[in-house]
Amino acid sequence: MADVWISGAGMTKIGRRVERLQDLMAEAAHAALAVAGIERPDAIVVATMNPEEFLGDGNFASNVATHMGFAEVPAVRVETATSSGAAAFYAGFAQVAAGLHRTVLVVGGEKMTHLSTPRVSELIGRSIDPYERSYGATMPALAGLITRALMGRHGAGEREIAQVSVKNHANATRNPYAHFPTAVSLEDVMTSRMVADPLRLLHCCPISDGAAAVLLSATRTRVRVAGIGQGTEALAVRQRPSLTSFRATQSAARAAFAMAGFPPARVDFAEIHDAFAPFELISLEDIGLVPPGKAGRATLDGDTALDGRLPINPSGGLKARGHPLAATGLAQIVECVWQLTGKADGRQLDGRVSLAHSIGGLATNNWVTLLEAT
Amino acid sequence: MTPITLPGVGEIVSFTTLHSPPEGFRSPLHIAVVELDEGARFVCHGAQTEGLRIGSRVAIEAIDSVYYFSHLGTLDRARLFWRRAGRSGDRVNAIARSLAKRMWKGKQHAEH
Repeated sequence: MADVWISGAGMTKIGRRVERLQDLMAEAAHAALAVAGIERPDAIVVATMNPEEFLGDGNFASNVATHMGFAEVPAVRVETATSSGAAAFYAGFAQVAAGLHRTVLVVGGEKMTHLSTPRVSELIGRSIDPYERSYGATMPALAGLITRALMGRHGAGEREIAQVSVKNHANATRNPYAHFPTAVSLEDVMTSRMVADPLRLLHCCPISDGAAAVLLSATRTRVRVAGIGQGTEALAVRQRPSLTSFRATQSAARAAFAMAGFPPARVDFAEIHDAFAPFELISLEDIGLVPPGKAGRATLDGDTALDGRLPINPSGGLKARGHPLAATGLAQIVECVWQLTGKADGRQLDGRVSLAHSIGGLATNNWVTLLEAT
Repeated sequence: MTPITLPGVGEIVSFTTLHSPPEGFRSPLHIAVVELDEGARFVCHGAQTEGLRIGSRVAIEAIDSVYYFSHLGTLDRARLFWRRAGRSGDRVNAIARSLAKRMWKGKQHAEH
């Protein structure tokens, strides 16, 4: 398998955007291409979770390729629910690693804020097991069940969970691309409106629009894709032996570290899928970045803060950078690339190995990607 | 495949209350995952969650093909217990088993 490198990365500001999704994706893609100094990629991989229902547009690989002026460049679309961006990155990685193409543009995005919150919630909720959905289970409902289990069995306290939101909002204040670059206090989080008891509003990521893109290359650059792994799990949450860890993350991490040939201890910083604050704690332990049962304490102690031992979500995470579904997995990778190449103004970290972790659905299709500066 | 009948008694694995449930559901919506003593897990609705905890004993039953959980009070539990333990000899054995199980569980909790 040939080495795969990242030669360009770009994204839009995340938030409530009035532009069309095609325009947002073109903006991100052209930013990535400009950095790489390439006019036209050999192939395109597009990630969108559900443009059919969010926008009424289909055939989206051709749609967006045509819009970008690349109608004749081979394009495919990849979808694994909320981790579609990471899955598209994997598909692009595979094309370059296999020698099918020398440069592959991977671009992901979503546009949702023009719809009402209940409608968006319902559309995202369609990735849930139909039987559980028939009981009114939404993503926040299932996350509420998981949060209570985490607090009960694992002893994660309210303050530990709330601190994830506080930290990620603090990081976002330094990120001009973030949806919510505003600080929140522990008290703000712990007194915010109850959504799915014990899960509160400020434990949950917002509904956001945006796009992100990277250019993968067979030619050596400053950032190498060191490892990438996928992990999967049954659709139904009730059929899982544990509610307080995600098997899909554990197997994705195992696969990624096996490919990279180094252990979790080598990771200097990470972007973690904190769609709900407790998921960051669960994921840190599932990936092996923090020993089992220690993620809450590590977060409260500041270990995962920007100036901590292991900075987590320097971008602000899904919580504060925002979560434009299929853009997210790629926005995480864009942040990692910026950090590794010294382009994260105002929040620059010193590190050589970074990790991005993306959750699809209620942890049914997860990804771990390792990037290394050379 | 042979259908089997389960007694419909189990433990709360986790539960939540939705304050803005999806369309077609009344607020607040109480949802729980219940594990029956035989191991099968169900998603259920419930009328309330007051006093409910992870590990609480609940009964589940289907009304119009929808499963509902209800918290078992001491009296309900005693009633179920006597109904399930048949002859007097079995009852003594069942009481002993139940006590042993409770002590074992208490010990496990203490260790954690």
